[in-house]
Amino acid sequence: MSDIRVHAGGLFTTVQDLGRPGHYRIGMPPSGAMDQYSASAANLLVGNEPNTGLLEATYIGPTLEFTDHRLIAVTGATASVTVNGEPVEAWTAVPVGPSDVLGFSMLTAGARLYIAVSGGIDVPVYLGSRSTYTLTGIGGFDGRKLADADRLPLGEAGTRARAGHSVPESLRPEFGTPAELRTIIGLCSYRLTERGLKTFLDTEWKITKDANRVGYRLRGGSLEFTDRAQPFGAGSDPANVVDLGYPVGSIQLPGGDEPIVLLNDAVTGGGYATTGTVISVDRDRIGQAKTGETVRFVETDLDTALTARRERAARIDTIREALTGN
Amino acid sequence: MVTIKAGMPGIFYRRPAPEDEPYVSEGGTIAAGQTIALIEVMKTYNEIRAEADGTIGKFLVEDGDEVEIGQDLAELETA
Amino acid sequence: MDTPTELPPARYEYGGDEFLFVELDQAMSLEANFKGMAVTNALRELDIDGVIDICPSNASYMVRIDPDRLDPRELVEELRGLEASVGELPRDYVLHTRVVDVPVLFDDPWTRETLMRFRDNHQDPSGTDLEYAARINGFDGVGSLIEAISSAPYIVTMLGFVPGLPFCYQLVPKERQIEVPKYVRPRTDTPERSFGFGGAFSVVYPVRGAGGYQLFGMAPAPVFDLDQRLPDFAAGIVFPRAGDVLRYRTIDRAEFDRIRGQVEDGSFRYRIREASFEPARLIADPDAVNRELLEVLYR
Repeated sequence: MSDIRVHAGGLFTTVQDLGRPGHYRIGMPPSGAMDQYSASAANLLVGNEPNTGLLEATYIGPTLEFTDHRLIAVTGATASVTVNGEPVEAWTAVPVGPSDVLGFSMLTAGARLYIAVSGGIDVPVYLGSRSTYTLTGIGGFDGRKLADADRLPLGEAGTRARAGHSVPESLRPEFGTPAELRTIIGLCSYRLTERGLKTFLDTEWKITKDANRVGYRLRGGSLEFTDRAQPFGAGSDPANVVDLGYPVGSIQLPGGDEPIVLLNDAVTGGGYATTGTVISVDRDRIGQAKTGETVRFVETDLDTALTARRERAARIDTIREALTGN
Repeated sequence: MVTIKAGMPGIFYRRPAPEDEPYVSEGGTIAAGQTIALIEVMKTYNEIRAEADGTIGKFLVEDGDEVEIGQDLAELETA
Repeated sequence: MDTPTELPPARYEYGGDEFLFVELDQAMSLEANFKGMAVTNALRELDIDGVIDICPSNASYMVRIDPDRLDPRELVEELRGLEASVGELPRDYVLHTRVVDVPVLFDDPWTRETLMRFRDNHQDPSGTDLEYAARINGFDGVGSLIEAISSAPYIVTMLGFVPGLPFCYQLVPKERQIEVPKYVRPRTDTPERSFGFGGAFSVVYPVRGAGGYQLFGMAPAPVFDLDQRLPDFAAGIVFPRAGDVLRYRTIDRAEFDRIRGQVEDGSFRYRIREASFEPARLIADPDAVNRELLEVLYR
């Protein structure tokens, strides 16, 4: 039997890969792992390509029983990881066999655990991806989060990876607070006064309980809009604009005092002014920030964003080379 | 004595709904698996359950408070 | 006919490193939407490596790129070139599109039940959304409002918010546009296939869920079909495309039930005709062009 028995699904555990690009124009967001770096590392550790189906668990890790010999790796948030109650290393390829049970203690840092299994979680590919998009119930395991007693199909494992290999400390992310999110200011930032924009950048924003794969709602400051006669079709509220597209990572400002950072499962457009976009690399970081923690937006430019992206790709290459020895 | 801890961050509630009675009062006896409170996060209300039989001592957070992962919620006197 | 809207120069904005956002105007107009359509159609034809998604919206558009393959700055240069060459909407520019008959049962029992349930979230708790919209738009009653909606077709200006939701703008001059505010506080529930109106846009809700648009009626036919059961969904899970021309046709309960039966047994097909029109002529003489589009549809 080549599957995983889910003893406990955790709080919100879904199958993800690196996402489902190419359907934004019909209003479908990309989904995919919130922390793409940790997800890629986990897959590489067990000999999978980075874009292989794996599990993303928010706040509470699942309890999983294996039915055959596999390599597993846990990355992302920090927690004690156990197999049959015995501690094992995170960020390391760990061998498991039939009846072995993987479990987790409470998270001590970060928000999302990634659990990769050699061969990958082999749910059906939907529109080019195994990622779960729970809002319309597509992809992943039945389009939903895992529940107790689910059985997850596994793919055939390759022979590339070796047990005991690990990602060096220097290549593991750190989750200091406040999380600093580099942001390209723009889009509809003209809706804010100079003072409003300064408040946006100076405020240490607190993550509310409404923070999930769709977006993170923040609180902590009140942003001043410029006075204007609302243009035709925009609606009467000063935070409203003529409905437009929202980039993944963009920050919308309903009401001016509750910015929402839109993330992998977000609505693709709407009528609220947006004031900038968190760069793609720092979406990994916000994906590891928890309700109750704080974030700060740091203004940056396109060059910095592209450099950060190349550096992340280079780190992933380093991990790949270290593991495969070439 | 042990403490029941929050496994997730969010807003802590001692009642199933604002107009209802609390799940359990201080000094009340509970069985393992029994719900003692809710934590609201990610648009869901998650039941917090006791891991053992016993008597609830003091609640260590107020109804409606924000809690973080690992925070002590209530004292539990086990037999 | 009034003078055409003069558009400001387009504004190019980096939405992080993976998106380009291009604002054609802050206000909605047919001119802005047609310009966006012309530029995004031309961009699609260029088939540039690294362009992942081209998303026209109402008075703006967005392009998703893979920055590992395409430098966002190069794409901006490309788009500035397109804006100069096709964005000016030459008089003879022709838009090829589909005209589609979309039946709607106005003042249906299901959206009426929903809107009465959320009366406390509304500007005017005393009436229905149709009564409110008719009054603030100066119609003498609900019947005249419905007549205005069904008399001239709409163009799909954008898909989004949730998968498959078409935003539609009526092909009439600004002074004849119906405009309504969104609910004061959004509803937590909206039936699937509700026909709604917010700002100057009409929508059909693809799935049940939250919503803030005024509720006017219910479409019997889906715009979104995850199982791709109906023939019109063979190519994809979403029926409408940006640029489609939709005519909302008033139907009665008997026709609604008949269409629902066809949807359920899998035989339903939208009435679709290929059509072309010149946006410049439509702006100059909307009634004539709309008449021709409807003739093509019902010929």
